[in-house]
Amino acid sequence: MSSSTSIIVVFEDDLSKAVLKKILPDKYTYIWRSGRGFGYIKKNINEYNRTAKTVPVLVLTDLDRRECAPTLIEVWLPFHRHNPKLLFRVAVREVESWVLADRDRFARSLGIKGTSIQVKVDEIDDPKEYLINLARRSNKRELREAIVPGKGSEADHGPDYNGYLTQFIREYWDIQEAICNSPSLKRVIKAVENFQPEQ
Amino acid sequence: MIISHITLKNWRNFQSADVNLRNRVFIVGPTASGKSNFLDVFRFLWDIAKPGGSLQKAICDRGGVPEIRSLTSHGSPNVEIEVSITETDTNETLWRYAIGITQSDYDNPYLTHERVWKKHKQILNRPDDNDIKDKLRLTQTHLEQVGLNQPFRDISEFFNSIWYLQLIPQLIRYPAAFSGPSIPDDPCGQNFLERVSKTPEKTRKLRLKKIEEALHIAVPQLKHLTDTKDESSTPHLEAIYEHWKQKGARQREDQFSDGTLRLIGLFWALLDEDSLLLLEEPELSLNIEIISKLPALIHRLHRQKGQVILSTHSADLLLDKGISGEEVLLLSPGPDGTVVRVASSIREIRALLEGGLSIADAVLLPETVPQDIHDLGAS
Repeated sequence: MSSSTSIIVVFEDDLSKAVLKKILPDKYTYIWRSGRGFGYIKKNINEYNRTAKTVPVLVLTDLDRRECAPTLIEVWLPFHRHNPKLLFRVAVREVESWVLADRDRFARSLGIKGTSIQVKVDEIDDPKEYLINLARRSNKRELREAIVPGKGSEADHGPDYNGYLTQFIREYWDIQEAICNSPSLKRVIKAVENFQPEQ
Repeated sequence: MIISHITLKNWRNFQSADVNLRNRVFIVGPTASGKSNFLDVFRFLWDIAKPGGSLQKAICDRGGVPEIRSLTSHGSPNVEIEVSITETDTNETLWRYAIGITQSDYDNPYLTHERVWKKHKQILNRPDDNDIKDKLRLTQTHLEQVGLNQPFRDISEFFNSIWYLQLIPQLIRYPAAFSGPSIPDDPCGQNFLERVSKTPEKTRKLRLKKIEEALHIAVPQLKHLTDTKDESSTPHLEAIYEHWKQKGARQREDQFSDGTLRLIGLFWALLDEDSLLLLEEPELSLNIEIISKLPALIHRLHRQKGQVILSTHSADLLLDKGISGEEVLLLSPGPDGTVVRVASSIREIRALLEGGLSIADAVLLPETVPQDIHDLGAS
């Protein structure tokens, strides 16, 4: 597809794709796949592993409610079965924690105090709910309406949640700042840096 | 027979293309990547070869050579098309047909070449001596002239079997409601019911029976599909629609759903023997259940007799793991026009398919969606 090494990147949704686009090194060509959510990746993890026999594949999924990342990986695809060209990483707990990890900028974008966001973002039990609750406190009506589900709505998030967050990630989110507050993000970036797809 | 290989130069979006084609061809690519323009090559060949067809009309109907020529071609190079025609059973290439066309400012379009090979032997190579003596001859192909195409009549007849279909249910339902000249060759199905009624009775009954069986997956309540005529001899389709009334209700095509009508039209076309069928987004107005079964139905109804080349945007259709990467053409727009590649020729896609993923997972994203559609929040 291109002269540089290509890596197939399997992502969950728009949000993880936006984050990955910022953290992946420029030296490779990326082929984006899935974007169809947690269950879809879980269902196809063996297929992605088999693909990694011949071409490098990076899979990123959210931890969600499971206890810890290694447990999730062992359940989905035990480590000893990983092909060498597979890099399977898990965000603790959701990509939203990494967004929150740039505490100052994210708080500023909502128009709330930076200290409103807890320091140990990886320990937030439900980062999405946490983020939506922060948005409820925003004095920016347009933003509130985009992120927070309408009154009485059973929707998981507001109508333009992904649109707003991906724009924030693209334009403002600072990786260095986020790394300081999220060891989980730091580990994933390190793993990506150490990944040697040519071998 | 099928078209097993095609080479294009400067045809619309395609500065060049050189791909193998199978019995089923699934064309995928983002909006405006040239899926319809790719299908149009086959319609163009049909427009030349059909009864009353000609090179001049085929070009004129498309607005002249400058309209057909690729925008990315530099200067005024020729438009070139070459196809190989293969016998399906033996996999042997029987024919090759090639033409080149050009047009200077005030002239009619004319051929730069017309060549025919029977197996490996070239039997036509124009311009010949007669063409050089009388250049006007180059405004017509030998293919379109019964007096001259006898040595390769098979090619002409094969191109004449090409059938383009983009059924519009409203046109099937109310053919008389749309006044004005009908669309040439009826791709939208305005005269579909007439076509059905003119088919010999035995074939007609057999096809309607097969269609009813195939329809069972999508509309199990629909039974006893038959054709009939009203007092004014207008042809109709009729079926019993079983519901809470014990006997069910008799319905005519104007009461069928859009999806049912499109399926009937599509299945009818698939059952037409030995044709090369061109389908533009056959998934439209069909439910997911039936869309996912279309690739298998195409195989079953069209058998090995003919060829189906279709364009699609449907992930549900491409989830069928019976589709091989060799059957999929991937269109990718770029600065030098659209590039056409067989999906399995791309290393990463082949690895995903070998890994066990479907075409929808291996191919559809992101090659067939604009690069930043996720960023637009439009996914």
